[in-house]
Amino acid sequence: MTAKNPLLELDNISKYFGNVKALENVSTKVLAGQVTCVLGDNGAGKSTFIKIISGLHKPSSGKYKFEGHEVSFESPREARSLGIATVYQDLAMAPLMSVWRNFFLGSEPMRRFGPINVIDAKFARKTAKEEMAKLGIDVRDVDQPVGTLSGGERQSVAIARAVYFGARVLILDEPTSALGVRQSDLVLGYVRAAAARDLGVILITHNPQHALPVGDRFLILNRGQSIGQLEKADLTYERLIELMSGRIHAA
Amino acid sequence: MGEASVSEVDGLSPAKSGDERISYRGPIKRLLVSPEIGALIGAVVVWAFFWGNGDKFGTAGSTANFLDVAAPLGIMAVVVALLMIGGEFDLSAGVMTGASGVTIALMAKYFTEGGISLWVCIPAAFLLAGCVGWWNGFLVNRTGLPSFIVTLGSFFVIKGANLVFAKRINSKVNVADVDKAHGYKFFKALLGGENTFGEMKYRGLIFIVGGLLFAALLVLGLIEQSLVRKQSASAGDLAFAVAGLAAAIAGVLILHRTDSINGNYLAGVVGLVGTVVAIVFYSRARFESRHKIVGALPDESKRFLALGIFGMLVASFAGRLFDRNEEQVMLQWMPDTLRMVVAVFAALFPLAMTIRSFARGDKEARGRVIASLIVRLPVICLVSLIGVVSLFQLTTVQAVRAVVITAAGSGGAVCFYQARRAAAKISTKWFLTIGALMSGAFVFVAFALRADANAERFRGGIFASLLLVATLILATTIVEATNRIRTAPDEKADALGRRLVLVGIVLGSIALTVRLLFSDGVFRMSVFWWLFFTVIGAFVLTKTKYGNWIFAVGGNKDAARATGVPADKVKTTLFVATSLMGAFVGAMILMRLNSVQAQQGDGQEFEYIIAAVVGGNLMTGGYGSVIGASLGALIMAISKNGIPAARWNQDGRFIFLGAVLLVSVLVNNYVRKKANEQR
Repeated sequence: MTAKNPLLELDNISKYFGNVKALENVSTKVLAGQVTCVLGDNGAGKSTFIKIISGLHKPSSGKYKFEGHEVSFESPREARSLGIATVYQDLAMAPLMSVWRNFFLGSEPMRRFGPINVIDAKFARKTAKEEMAKLGIDVRDVDQPVGTLSGGERQSVAIARAVYFGARVLILDEPTSALGVRQSDLVLGYVRAAAARDLGVILITHNPQHALPVGDRFLILNRGQSIGQLEKADLTYERLIELMSGRIHAA
Repeated sequence: MGEASVSEVDGLSPAKSGDERISYRGPIKRLLVSPEIGALIGAVVVWAFFWGNGDKFGTAGSTANFLDVAAPLGIMAVVVALLMIGGEFDLSAGVMTGASGVTIALMAKYFTEGGISLWVCIPAAFLLAGCVGWWNGFLVNRTGLPSFIVTLGSFFVIKGANLVFAKRINSKVNVADVDKAHGYKFFKALLGGENTFGEMKYRGLIFIVGGLLFAALLVLGLIEQSLVRKQSASAGDLAFAVAGLAAAIAGVLILHRTDSINGNYLAGVVGLVGTVVAIVFYSRARFESRHKIVGALPDESKRFLALGIFGMLVASFAGRLFDRNEEQVMLQWMPDTLRMVVAVFAALFPLAMTIRSFARGDKEARGRVIASLIVRLPVICLVSLIGVVSLFQLTTVQAVRAVVITAAGSGGAVCFYQARRAAAKISTKWFLTIGALMSGAFVFVAFALRADANAERFRGGIFASLLLVATLILATTIVEATNRIRTAPDEKADALGRRLVLVGIVLGSIALTVRLLFSDGVFRMSVFWWLFFTVIGAFVLTKTKYGNWIFAVGGNKDAARATGVPADKVKTTLFVATSLMGAFVGAMILMRLNSVQAQQGDGQEFEYIIAAVVGGNLMTGGYGSVIGASLGALIMAISKNGIPAARWNQDGRFIFLGAVLLVSVLVNNYVRKKANEQR
C-alpha cells in the first residue's frame, strides 16, 4: 500500500513457556505514521506479543526485524535505545511528583552550576508544557502533582514523554481500559496525534469500539494464534467482533 | 491526524482550550501546598507560645544552649527525612550514634597500649557505619522485607554489641576521657567546638534590619504575584510609597534604640503609619484599581464577627482571672464549687452534644440510635469526665492561663479572617470595616496584655509584634479592597514576585543565622553543622537528579525502575548516608561531652522519625521536605526547652510531644488535601 518500508516486521513469531504455546506463528508489520491495533480477548496472547516486541521476552522462533535488520534484544533497555517505547497500564509515574518531574524522570536535563550539576528546572518545565501542547493537551500548571490529573491526562503525559525521548515505535498497553467514555476519546486523540508525528504506534486493546476509529491495521489474536491481519478498508465493526470471538477466520 | 489540529481550526488559543476546571492558583495557595509550610507555622507558633510564657525562654544564652542540644536531632532528622521520602525507615539510626561513639572511644583508649590517634578511630567508625548502612540496604533490596523489620534487627544487634564491647573492654558502660588521644584538639574544634567571638555589638541591629527587609520583600513579592499590573506606574503615588517606607524605617529604628515600654509613642505611630502608607501607595502606583461592590453584611460574616470580638475580649481580659506566677495544679487551685461545676459540665457535655445532633438527625433512624446510645453514652460521659479532670490535674494555673490567652486570641483572629472573607465578594465597605476592626482588635489586645503583664518581654517584643501584625492586616485589607486581584498567570510579574520573595528569604535567613549562631557571642559548631546539612539535604532533594530519583523511588518504585532509575542503588545509598550521619552525630556528641554512654541514642530513632513527620514528610514515602524535617526537630527542641522554662511539669513534655505529633500530621494532611482540591 504505502511506499514506506515497515519500521517493525515480525515474521512467524512463536513463544513457548515449557509446554504452553503462548504464541504460534504470528506475523505483522508496523509502519511509521500508522496505528496498528492488536486485538484479542483475555488470554489471547496480547501481553506475550508486546513483551516480545518491547524486549522483555525473546521469541522461541521466528524473525524480528527493526528497519529491515534482524534484531534480538537481551533487555527492554536495548529495545528502548532503538526507540521502541512502551507505555504500560500502571503508567510508570509517581503520583505525588509534579508533572515536569515525572516527564523527565530518569533523564533529567542538567545544567552546570559551577562545579556541580543541577536539574535545569526552567527548561524542564517549559519543555514538558510544550511537548504536551503538541499532542493537544494544555496542562496549565506543570508543577501540580500527577496524582491530581485525570486518567486520560496521565496517559497523555506518558505518551508525550515517550514521543519526546525519541520513540520511533510506541507500544500502548490497554491505554483505555480504566477510563470513561470522554477520557477514552481524549486518549485515542493523543494516539492519533502521536501517529501523525510519524511514529509507528501499536495499540493493544480488547475493546473493538476503541480500536476501530483509530486503527489503520488490525492484528487479531485468539488463543495464541493469529486469526487475521486486516487493513481498515476491509473491516466493519460486526466482522471485527466475529473475528475476535474466534468464530470465523479471515481468509 | 484530524484531532491534533482541531483547536487551530476553531481559532482557540491553546490557553483557552484547556480544562476550565483548572483555575489559576494565587501565590498563597501555591505556598500552602509545600510540605514545610505547616512545620514553619508550627515552629513560629510554638516559639511565640513559650516566648510569651517563660521568662527564661528565648533569651540569647538559653536559645544558643538548647539549639546546641537539639543539633544532633536536627542533623539526623535531615537524613531520616530523605530516607523516608525514599520510602524506607531506619530504626538502627539512633543506636548507630552510640555505636560510633563507643567505637571511637574504645579504639582511642584501648586498641593498643595507650590507644591510637583519632585520625584513625573516626574514619574507622565511619567505615563501620557505612558497612551497616550497606547491609541494611542490601537486605531490604534483596529480600523485599519491610525496612522496619530489617533495621529493627540491626537495631538490636548494634544495641547489644555496644553494651557487650563497652563492658568487656572498658568494664563499665560509660567510656570517658578520650581527650588524651592524639588529634583530639582538632576534632573537638571541628565537631564540638565553641568559638568565642566576643561581644557582638550589631547582632540585634542586623537581626531587626534583616527581619524588616524580609517582611517588606515578602509583602511586595506577594502583592506582585496577586494583583493586575497597570500599564504605567504613577509617579506621585510611588513618591508617597517611598516616603512611607522611609518613615517606617525611621520609626522602627528609633523604637529599637529607645525603651519600648515607656517608649516613644510618636516613633511607634510614625513607623506603623509609614508601613501602611508605603504598602497601600505602592499598590496604587503599580496596579489596577477595582470597582466598589455594594451589598449588605452577610449573616455568615455577622456570626464570625461576633465570635471574633468575643475571642479577642477573652484574650485581653482572661489573663486577669489567673495569677501569672501561680504554679499550683489547676484542680487544687479551683474552689470546691468550681470543681463540681467543671466535673458536672464535663460529664454532661457529651450528653448535650448527643441530644443536639439527635434533634437535627434523621427521624427514622432514631430507634436504632437510642439503642446504641444506651450502651455507649455512659462510657463516653465517663471518659469525658476522667479526661477533663486529669487534664486539670496535670496542668498548672499559669499553663492554663497561657493556653486560654493563646487559644482565644488565635481563635478570634481566625474568626475575624473568616468574617472578612465572607464579606469580600459581597461588600467592599464591609470588607474594609471588618479588616479595620480586626486590625483594631489586635491593637486592643496588645495594649490589654501590656498593661496586665509583669514580664518585661510582653511589654517589648510581643507588644511590638502584635502592633506590627495589626498594621499588616490593615494594609493588606486596603490593598485587597481597592486593587484588582489577578485570576490568570502573568509570567513576568510572577517571576519578579518570586524573585523578591526569594531575596527576602535569603536576607531574613542571614539575619536569623547571625542571631542564632552568634547569639551570645559563642559560635557553636553543632548548630553550624545542623544548618549545613539542612542546606545540603534540601539542595540534593530539590535541585539534583539524585533528589528526583529519591522522590520517584519512594513514590512508585516500579515506575522509577521502568524509566531507568537505579532504584536499588538509590535506596542503598540512602541507608548508607543515614548510618554515616549517625556516625557523624556520634562523633560530634563524643567530642562535646568527652565521654559516651553505651546506651546513647537508644530510642532516639523514633524522635528522628517524629521530627520528619512533624515536618510534613509522608510516612509512606514519595513526598516531603528536608527543611520541614529540620523545622520539625526545632519544634521538638523548643517544646523540650520551653516547658521547663515556663516552670511547668517537666514530664508533661511527652504529652505535649504526642499532641504536637498528632496535630501536625492532621494539619499537614488537611492543608495538602485542601490545596490540591482547589485547582
